[in-house]
Amino acid sequence: MIALKALSKNKFKSLLIFTSITIAVMAIFLISSVSQGIIGMYSKMIKTDGDIIITQKGIADTFFSNVDINIMKKIVKLKGVKSTYAMIVGASPVGDMPIAGIYGITKNHMSHYKLTDGVYPKMGEVILGSNLANQIDSHEVKIGAKTFKISGTFSSGVGFEEGGVVMNIKDAGDMFSRSASFILVSSVHVDNIDNLVEKIKTLNDDIEVKTTKSFVKEYNQFKIIENSSLVISSLAFAMGLMGIASIMSMIVNSRKEEFGIMRALGKSRAFIMKNLFFESLIMSFSAYIFALVVSLGILEILPHIEKLQGYVNGTLSFETAIYVLISTIIMAVIGSLIPAYIASKTDPILLINQGCS
Amino acid sequence: MIKVKNISHFYGDEQVLFDLSFEIKKGEFIFLSGSSGSGKSTLLSILSTLLKPSSGEFLLDSLHVGDINNIDKFRQENVGFVFQFHYLINYLNVKENIALAALDSKKQNIDKILQDLGILDLASRYPNEISGGQRQRVAMARALVNEPKIIFADEPTGSLDSKNSKIVYDLLAKAVKKGTTVVVASHDMQVQNYATKTIRLLDGKLQ
Repeated sequence: MIALKALSKNKFKSLLIFTSITIAVMAIFLISSVSQGIIGMYSKMIKTDGDIIITQKGIADTFFSNVDINIMKKIVKLKGVKSTYAMIVGASPVGDMPIAGIYGITKNHMSHYKLTDGVYPKMGEVILGSNLANQIDSHEVKIGAKTFKISGTFSSGVGFEEGGVVMNIKDAGDMFSRSASFILVSSVHVDNIDNLVEKIKTLNDDIEVKTTKSFVKEYNQFKIIENSSLVISSLAFAMGLMGIASIMSMIVNSRKEEFGIMRALGKSRAFIMKNLFFESLIMSFSAYIFALVVSLGILEILPHIEKLQGYVNGTLSFETAIYVLISTIIMAVIGSLIPAYIASKTDPILLINQGCS
Repeated sequence: MIKVKNISHFYGDEQVLFDLSFEIKKGEFIFLSGSSGSGKSTLLSILSTLLKPSSGEFLLDSLHVGDINNIDKFRQENVGFVFQFHYLINYLNVKENIALAALDSKKQNIDKILQDLGILDLASRYPNEISGGQRQRVAMARALVNEPKIIFADEPTGSLDSKNSKIVYDLLAKAVKKGTTVVVASHDMQVQNYATKTIRLLDGKLQ
């Protein structure tokens, strides 16, 4: 009760703490969410309609991978294979856009991209992702050095794809000088997938074959994104938490007179600490909830910002939310209770005099 | 009531009280006088258990203060304090300020005390919504609510006009009549009209 009164009566100080905690929590949420979102989008692209992924052996990134597309003819003959398709993943200037994702697809996978307008592309034609289409008002578009006719627009629900261009794999192959970045295979029985992986491996010495599940888990780019994100978000969070702790500490120090008066009135150290604990708890929890709601709102809006072409997309995991909640409360409580404890050991009259000075 | 034995106090290297010894009896109204810097406030803070003396000892209600385990509880049960600047908690209203100091068993006294002091109608107002004189009466109510054995007042009328000063002294005199011991540190010579005994300090020594 006293904790709530103190917070509501000291509005400016309360607002200062609330804002600091909100910004710190939002920083960690947005940084980690965007990196989790990037990984999530690429994983979704690879996992869609594919249980097994075939890339060039010894290549760290699918952008540099080159797999002979003709191997698909041998794969479809293997027992247990339901379907297979190939894809080239690249990036190039598109129209006035400095860069956009280019996806070269075999015809049998075109249906993955749901047309919102027009028809699927023939050779020399492309379909544009919905985000990119909103920024290109023309029937043709220059991609790299070649001009393509726009045959339609599509939506796939994956931000990377919706900010990019889909074309026939042959056109993409000519543009990026490769046969396929990777081949994806769907199996009839997922239970027998390891057996199928081994069979495909025997078809070519230059290929690396993995289940899409293990590929996503081991993919170097994801590890780099994850680790970078972890470092950046940890630093941002650590700075934010230090900010929270130091602001709480300053606020508590500025209230020495009040604590001195309470002690003079016979209130125990435990009473003062308990009220400060509740103040910190209420403040940090409410700021956390506010930051969570605002962050979720921002993450909802980000994919719809045309300028970002759908590339910046965020996913906030439950684990991250809980981790940030616990850390925020701990730091706020530590930041306020340590100076309060030190103050509580000082003679009341000295606290009152320090507060007045 | 209070027995002071060889109390000395230092702030850093500076000695402000020099080997003071004296006694105060129950029901006395003590006027602690002296010029600025004479050590009145420091002595009052020590006697009211708000400050530990650098050396010496004193007994409050026959108890060695240094040996009291829960000094906060002891202070709440036995000591009332009135500060010059009243020091009310700004985010609590008048009644809550008094309730903060009140023992659970004395909380039912709050309305009566507010009534006696003529400030019952201010009960729900906050300190910044009342006058200086009214704030000091609230501070008096806070000091009286637990019916303490002893009340210490440090320049209680320092920021009040003569009319409000008289109200404060009358309240303290009334408490003395009920058996409470009162110690007032002040420059205001008006206290002499109420005091039963004067302790005069000069440069930290008894005069």
